Amino acid sequence: MNVVFAVKQYISKMIEDSGPGMKVLLMDKETTGIVSMVYTQSEILQKEVYLFERIDSQNREIMKHLKAICFLRPTKENVNYLIQELRRPKYSIYFIYFSNVISKSDVKSLAEADEQEVVAEVQEFYGDYIAVNPHLFSLNILGCCQGRNWDPVQLSRATQGLTALLLSLKKCPMIRYQLSSEAAKRLAECVKQVITKEYELFEFRRTEVPPLLLILDRCDDAITPLLNQWTYQAMVHELLGINNNRIDLSRVPGISKDLREVVLSAENDEFYANNMYLNFAEIGSNIKNLMEDFQKKKPKEQQKLESIADMKAFVENYPQFKKMSGTVSKHVTVVGELSRLVSERNLLEVSEVEQELACQNDHSSALQNVKRLLQSPKVTEFDAARLVMLYALHYERHSSNSLPGLMMDLRNKGVSEKYRKLVSTVVEYGGKRVRGSDLFSPKDAVAITKQFLKGLKGVENVYTQHQPFLHETLDHLIKGKLKENLYPYLGPSTLRDRPQDIIVFIIGGATYEEALTVYNLNRTTPGVRIVLGGTTVHNTKRSLEESLITFLPTYKLSLSKYWFHFVFIIPK
Amino acid sequence: MASLDDPGEVREGFLCPLCLKDLQSFYHLQSHYEEEHSGEDGDVKGQIKSAVRSHLSDFKKHRAARIDHYVVEVNKLIIRLEKLTAFDRTNTESAKIRAIEKSVVPWVNDQDVPFCPDCGNKFSIRNRRHHCRLCGSIMCKKCMELISLPLANKLTSASKDSLSPHTSPSQSPNSVHGSRRASISSVSSVSSVLDEKDDDRIRCCTHCKDTLLKREQQIDEKEHTPDIVKLYEKLRLCMEKVDQKAPEYIRMAASLNAGETTYSLEHASDLRVEVQKVYELIDALSKKILTLDLKQDPPPHPNTLRLQRMIRYSATLFVQEKLLGLMSLPTKEQFEELKEKRKQEVERKKILERRATLESQQRLEERRSDLVSHATNGEVVSLRGGPAPLRKAEGWLPLSGGQGQIEDSDPLLQQIHNITSFIRQAKAAGRMDEVRTLQENLRQLQDEYDQQQTEKAIELSRRQAEEEDLQREQLQMLREREREREREQFQAASLHMRTRSLDFREIRPFQLEPGREPRNHLAHALDLGCSPAPSSAAPKTPSPSLALEPIRVWSGPPALGQEFFPQSTTSQHNEVPSLNPFDEEDLSSPAAEGTASPPAAEPSLGPPACVLKEYNPFEEEEEEEAVAGNPFTSPDSPAPSPFDEEDGHPHQRPSGPPVPGNPFEEAPCTNPFEVDSESGQEGEEPIEEELLLQQIDNIKAYIFDAKQCGRLDEVEVLTENLRELKHTLAKQKGGAD
Repeated sequence: MNVVFAVKQYISKMIEDSGPGMKVLLMDKETTGIVSMVYTQSEILQKEVYLFERIDSQNREIMKHLKAICFLRPTKENVNYLIQELRRPKYSIYFIYFSNVISKSDVKSLAEADEQEVVAEVQEFYGDYIAVNPHLFSLNILGCCQGRNWDPVQLSRATQGLTALLLSLKKCPMIRYQLSSEAAKRLAECVKQVITKEYELFEFRRTEVPPLLLILDRCDDAITPLLNQWTYQAMVHELLGINNNRIDLSRVPGISKDLREVVLSAENDEFYANNMYLNFAEIGSNIKNLMEDFQKKKPKEQQKLESIADMKAFVENYPQFKKMSGTVSKHVTVVGELSRLVSERNLLEVSEVEQELACQNDHSSALQNVKRLLQSPKVTEFDAARLVMLYALHYERHSSNSLPGLMMDLRNKGVSEKYRKLVSTVVEYGGKRVRGSDLFSPKDAVAITKQFLKGLKGVENVYTQHQPFLHETLDHLIKGKLKENLYPYLGPSTLRDRPQDIIVFIIGGATYEEALTVYNLNRTTPGVRIVLGGTTVHNTKRSLEESLITFLPTYKLSLSKYWFHFVFIIPK
Repeated sequence: MASLDDPGEVREGFLCPLCLKDLQSFYHLQSHYEEEHSGEDGDVKGQIKSAVRSHLSDFKKHRAARIDHYVVEVNKLIIRLEKLTAFDRTNTESAKIRAIEKSVVPWVNDQDVPFCPDCGNKFSIRNRRHHCRLCGSIMCKKCMELISLPLANKLTSASKDSLSPHTSPSQSPNSVHGSRRASISSVSSVSSVLDEKDDDRIRCCTHCKDTLLKREQQIDEKEHTPDIVKLYEKLRLCMEKVDQKAPEYIRMAASLNAGETTYSLEHASDLRVEVQKVYELIDALSKKILTLDLKQDPPPHPNTLRLQRMIRYSATLFVQEKLLGLMSLPTKEQFEELKEKRKQEVERKKILERRATLESQQRLEERRSDLVSHATNGEVVSLRGGPAPLRKAEGWLPLSGGQGQIEDSDPLLQQIHNITSFIRQAKAAGRMDEVRTLQENLRQLQDEYDQQQTEKAIELSRRQAEEEDLQREQLQMLREREREREREQFQAASLHMRTRSLDFREIRPFQLEPGREPRNHLAHALDLGCSPAPSSAAPKTPSPSLALEPIRVWSGPPALGQEFFPQSTTSQHNEVPSLNPFDEEDLSSPAAEGTASPPAAEPSLGPPACVLKEYNPFEEEEEEEAVAGNPFTSPDSPAPSPFDEEDGHPHQRPSGPPVPGNPFEEAPCTNPFEVDSESGQEGEEPIEEELLLQQIDNIKAYIFDAKQCGRLDEVEVLTENLRELKHTLAKQKGGAD
């Protein structure tokens, strides 16, 4: 149940099978992302893959001394491109891998195009999803639904992604879905359909307890993606944005040329792997240690290498030093930028109120705090709107709801109309009417007591009080207590034992906070292995975009432009 | 495991299906399997854990149907082409040619085709019909193509070639054409190309021409290997070589740098040169690939350039990664030094161990050889300052090595010897992997042995420290007693000699506790008794007289000091001369102190200082001891100080000679501690020079690399370092000259 490993294994196998010699990797737009998540360039270079080409690029030269490895999604366009390619082959020999099930008729038309017999392999390798972390995958779909229903194109993409994931992990699961969401039910049915149709593929050795696929809908918990995050990976994504492990730092003031775009990959970056789930304070001290460690190794101009022994040590450590200096400068820059943004945007205070809004039920104090922050000049438009959204979601039906007043405050603060509109959009997306379960008030006695105690003791960390709703859902699922009337099984059979291998998929996108929850659950619950996936991985911006696209399809184009601005130009 | 006998156990056992390990629970088994076998699974079975599905057989089936059709077409055309070119076209009449052409393929009836099938123009008198000689179809003049005889020849002869033995059945699917088409060649006969004529080209339609051109392209590609491929193949060969040789070298270098003698230095440096040459070759080859066709007029396609850059980049990565991991070898002298160091280490441990057992014996002999050693002592001192520290180390090592062998009763040592000889044999037989395992064994054994020895040494030094403490206590006590006695001496100076000897008797009981002590004092006694040992006779005899002289002369304190100096250098540890100062002091002190006690203390300070000085050259490690003794000795009356030194001496020299009476051994053997460290320091100078040069080279390489990558700040730092290194080198050279 390691999705990164699964995809990497597919890619390695492709390269291995093609034998020695210079190679070119032919991909489409999506598979490029899939490959780049699990392999770095230098790593893949060592396997004699020297060129990376897009199948749709017209400007490819005939290079008969190269072997071509094609890793493509089995779309109609790709098949057509491939047919053209085979008619006039540019490379000596072709190894073709489709990332999902391909139809027999497509295989036939490809075969008929291969008059020069250049194809040596045609296989399905089910790496049809973006492996973000070992237990987190994404499909990079934005705007998967229109209104409450699936966009048919995206539904089929999501079905393909999920079935590919199941195949790559060799799981033939039982399926549960969130009853309140029509989209969840649709997806569950589609996945089931594929499993039935391709029953030969899904014939794996039976495990005692069959794996479980749980399909959820983001709108059940619109709170989590709205919160500021304080663990490294989540924070980077929230404040800077991670796209296929890449982070754009070009907007950072005074950034040096080679740090404009950095790659954060747990596969190749030890520091990142060790720190991605730690909170900001811990990162701070760890980065200090890293720096000190580096300073020790770094030969400064003042610090003369006094003896030959110093010199020798320096020379021997030099390659290591070089590698380290790359890591250090990268993380120092990223963390530096994070802390700059935190102080510039007053995020600690904002986050505290956010957490209060998300976790506590004291309306008057929450309202007071929100009002206070709306007056603060440091709080950005975006954060202000976000606070009001959280308030709106939580106290939607509160007797003394003063949302109109807050909206006025927003207007007075000079928050643009687009932001203000978002508030109602978010409520429409994830408001009470939509939610199948109660997000805010605890349901059972145990939970009430817990919250009461929590209130008494106070929390250790006010910024990380919030537990995503997913935690509770999974906790119940693991204990076999997840209610069947809210999360029914698809089909007649039900799981009698507690589940062991669980795949959770969130329509509308997962968040890094939820990924952290899953990571911790995996660590602390023996015998249970959970993989989390979503149509995308959210930060607040992306999730708002999602809710916008969902409800205002006509705005889609102009909005994406506007969101682009939003992501990169943070008002001062 | 026991699954056959008792299937019930299988369920309970949670056995790993691959390694048959019994994991305690299902979870453990699951995690074990994921951790241990998830990676190897793919390798072992050549399959991967995730699901895959192949469409290859389907694909091939469809393709075969298609290809068969295509191949038949091509073959037909080529057979016809061959027939058309098989006769002497120039010397044949047109009508006859036409007849032959018509016999090859039946021509389509003119009336059947009113329009050109390709361009759709109507045929007329102006727009005449033309027949394709290869398929017999009709087209207009515009749409007609021509095949020149050379091209026809090329196509037909290539088909023949495919039958010839040198075309190996390659794995590439392209070869399939060849084999399928092999049948044609039997029909064909050699045709000769002749001079031009109207009909020297063969008319054909675009479709036939297309097919034939494709065929031609295939032929070309098969025969042509671009330069980049040739270079690349060489590059890969070199990389493989490195992958093969580098680990071997690293093993050797590590072993050699540790001072082990399992590999020969020459062999290793040969290998290093070899590997480095391969690296240079890789560098050169990849550079050549990088600049391939760069100056050609239509510049190569950007993708070609990208490919070349990438190959170069990956080669650079390869070299950087592997070359920098290539540790340097010690130079010859360095290696000797390392060997010595290692040996010394081993020896030191051995000595320490042996000392534990032999200490008492040593003590016994020490007394006797002391006298002998004095003569050699001076030499050793001068040697130490001398320019050849190695020689000095060698001076005693072989000897002690010999001793080591005598005492090799340790089973570990025997084992080590055995394995060393095995390695030699295996090396001679060229079984490198065996050598490797043996060396691994050897290393383990040596480690084990070293550890044993270290433990012993630690134990021993602890004991020594205890002893020394004890001695110090005793000395202090002795001093106190001495003081008391001196007070008595004020009253009875004449009785001194007797009190002195009484003193000894009193001390002995104190020193009796450790088992060695009594013998030690026996040694003292022996020394006293048989002091005129054969070799020491000369230095010794004068000393008493010398010592006696001042007594008679009654010289002043300064003279006294001077006289003590030579005297004690010759016979420090001799009790007889050392008694002299006492006599003298005792004689002098009562006289001096009789008048005024404070000034009497002053002259007495002289001798102890002198004594201290003498000790320094002889045993430097004793400095501390001597200094420690100082506070006691100087304020005290002079009498105890020489005694102190002397008494302490046997204990302080535990590193004394294992083989007594050998003057050469004696002296160095006391030294190993500082000699070792000292010689190390001194020895560093000439050797480090080599290292310096190496480092300079390395840094130069880094600078180059950094410059290329445009990391200017790094370049600066590195340049600074380089300058410093050069400076150091120059200084050293200056110093050496």
